[in-house]
Amino acid sequence: MLFNSLTFVVFFVLVLSAYWTMKSWPARKNLLMVASYIFYGAWNPPFALLLFATSALDFYLGARIAAASGPGSRKAWMITSVTVNLSMLGFFKYGNFLLTNFEWTLSKYGVAYHPPVMDVFLPIGISFYTFHSLSYTLDVYRGVCQPTKSLRDFVLAVSFFPQLVAGPIVRAADFLPQLVNAPVLRSGQFYWGLLLMTLGLFEKIVLADLMLADASDAVFGFAGPLLPLDAWAGVLAFSGQIFFDFAGYSTCAIGAALCLGFSLRDNFRFPYAAVGFSDFWRRWHISLSTFLRDFLYIPLGGNRSGPVRAAINLMIVMFIGGLWHGAAWTFVVWGLIHGVLLVLERLVKSVTKDAAWTEAFMTKLLVGLFTYAAVCFAWVFFRAPDFLSAGKIVAAMTGRIPHGVGVAVLSALSLWKVGIVIAGLLLAHSLLRNTSVEAVVGRMPRWLVAGLWTLMLGAIILTQGNGNAFIYFQF
Amino acid sequence: MPSSTSNFDFQRPVPDLPWRGLVLAVVLLTTVATVAWEIRARSLGYRPSLNDTSDLWADQRQAVKPDSIVIIGDSRALFDNDLDTLQQGLGQRPVQLALVGSCAYPVLENLANDETFHGTVIASVVPLMWFAPPPSPPYHNSQRALKRYAHRTLAQRSGHYLSMWLEEHLAFMNADLKLEPLLDDVPVSPRAAFHPTPVLPPDFATIDRDRRTRMWESCNVPGPLQERVKNGWLPVFTPPPPPPYVPKEAFAAGMAKAMAARFADTITAVKKIQARGGKVVFVRYPVSGELKKHEDQLTPRVGPWNGLIKATGAPGIYFEDYPELAGFTCPEWSHLSAGDSVEFTKRLLPHLQQALAP
Repeated sequence: MLFNSLTFVVFFVLVLSAYWTMKSWPARKNLLMVASYIFYGAWNPPFALLLFATSALDFYLGARIAAASGPGSRKAWMITSVTVNLSMLGFFKYGNFLLTNFEWTLSKYGVAYHPPVMDVFLPIGISFYTFHSLSYTLDVYRGVCQPTKSLRDFVLAVSFFPQLVAGPIVRAADFLPQLVNAPVLRSGQFYWGLLLMTLGLFEKIVLADLMLADASDAVFGFAGPLLPLDAWAGVLAFSGQIFFDFAGYSTCAIGAALCLGFSLRDNFRFPYAAVGFSDFWRRWHISLSTFLRDFLYIPLGGNRSGPVRAAINLMIVMFIGGLWHGAAWTFVVWGLIHGVLLVLERLVKSVTKDAAWTEAFMTKLLVGLFTYAAVCFAWVFFRAPDFLSAGKIVAAMTGRIPHGVGVAVLSALSLWKVGIVIAGLLLAHSLLRNTSVEAVVGRMPRWLVAGLWTLMLGAIILTQGNGNAFIYFQF
Repeated sequence: MPSSTSNFDFQRPVPDLPWRGLVLAVVLLTTVATVAWEIRARSLGYRPSLNDTSDLWADQRQAVKPDSIVIIGDSRALFDNDLDTLQQGLGQRPVQLALVGSCAYPVLENLANDETFHGTVIASVVPLMWFAPPPSPPYHNSQRALKRYAHRTLAQRSGHYLSMWLEEHLAFMNADLKLEPLLDDVPVSPRAAFHPTPVLPPDFATIDRDRRTRMWESCNVPGPLQERVKNGWLPVFTPPPPPPYVPKEAFAAGMAKAMAARFADTITAVKKIQARGGKVVFVRYPVSGELKKHEDQLTPRVGPWNGLIKATGAPGIYFEDYPELAGFTCPEWSHLSAGDSVEFTKRLLPHLQQALAP
């Protein structure tokens, strides 16, 4: 079920009505769990069983880790959880990718092996819910969270419908404690949740799908050589589209959770105003970057074993981060580009130390612009279907096409739409980089909040939406 | 240590605002704006009517039974066939699977690959559409509908039913009045280097749940809508020039190869259906005015039509061969009016019955 669908509107109204009418907290949790499975099963009912199996297994393994007598057995149960979860993810998401690469490698040694292509359907949101579930056993192992005794609570924590299929990746340690006692709505919490849902839907339906998607699709779907202006516009459009699409989903999720009395943490903090790449990853898909930091980077040794080892660790983390997004080498290259940029940034920082000029406004502005440009360059590999297409777009962006051959694929109106939205996006992120949406809205005059809210609702109704899935569903 | 046995201390902040008054104002403003927009839509001549979406098509595809009579093709098959008349004459109500601006071959292929199907296919042929190669817009339109049919989720299906209910009650739900087409009308200086793909004309028909399509009366009579629709056809029915990065000879060779492949694929699909006891009849529906001259020049009858009939061995009904079918005039050059479509179908029936006779 998509947030941007009439089905969800009816579903959410029914769930909210029943949820706030029921008195018993356990009954309300049962309702949320059933609703979450309906939400997920509305795509493909059989995969709801896989979701339950993942949750039930990690519930059991979490209890075994907590009950284990020695560190060896604790570790063994934790490794079992990691292995089973990643194996399931690997089978569904990376099976054909691994087979194809295995076949290619053998062919390099003269072995003609042609494995049958597995007709595997990717369960939607498997990367997200696997990490939701896995965070529990890892946190129990680390001693960060105590195991829950309620299978129902854990199943609900993993499947909670606002964040189930496209994040934020909510740690069980953050969510399970909220299930102990019935939430009490604070003043304005419900309405603030509705406003956040409106904002998220506006980002998705109007800004991502209506204003930017066509330009991005036209450029990345074009087979011939592009004019530099079109290539740049397409890449900028994608930078905005993926932000509004993904941040829109997270904002909807946070809003829906608030309406139900739950608090989810931010997943984005105005990332295109980042000054540097480590700053970018503190602002973009925060729940994934902190997951990888806590469960991969730090266990690998982090930066405790010197700069060279830290650089290697960063590259490993970004390699995995790239692969998490999709079973293709283009995603890996996207991750590695970010890895290299993070390593280079550390190198530069180790040379410049805390020199006064690094804190100057102009320096920060230039570094910020460079950060955005480099992030856009990396997006080419994230969005392009293959390296050939990515190469064509990079060639056009750098003007390396023969004169008179490049084709204009974007109309003047498309260019205006991209220009206005991206300029507005960068301006908004720059102005808001050190604050929060809550603080900004709290300071606004009431008439302005009412006017903006009405405008967003009006634009959503007028656009009507076309039921486009969120980009991150495929991950 | 956060524990699952105590409440967590993290709480999202909530801005301190007079929320009840604010929400009331937003609800009032949004309601007033929506009602005003509905009144404006009706004043522009729009009435509540379904949008011809991939979901509506998928509903009909799902309704196909093994022995169904199925209409496939472009918008002429959609406008010119009266389903009631066909039902009376053929003994069962045909399933309407024709699609606006589409190449029907993927749908024919889909039916041919459906091992259970052994019914009858009435296929409208406009050569420029039938032979449109992938990834042209006509081919894409059919593929999109088929994909929806094949992969429709429960959530999408329920959303479609809710949407149909709204479309049948609100005029502003018309696809022409969405924000996207409205933005497209914003006057912007055109970009010299950009050559736009021709777009289909604005909406000028109503469609029922079984996809019976009827031209609006305002398009049947001379006037601005009829002119606007007429003016849209010639660009739509003109093949795009070769892209600058492909040599003309290579482009022409590629097109010839694609056309030959489409011939071969069509023959294969027809034979598959015939082998299961099914029938296929090709129909060329009326076309008028400048558009007829344009089509006759680009795709003369001796070329694709005759070739298709000869190669497949399937019966063909070409409107110009029969005086009773040739006497109709399409008001906007491409489709019959709602009234004429009933009369045309009555006159087409005997030819269909003859073509489909054992």
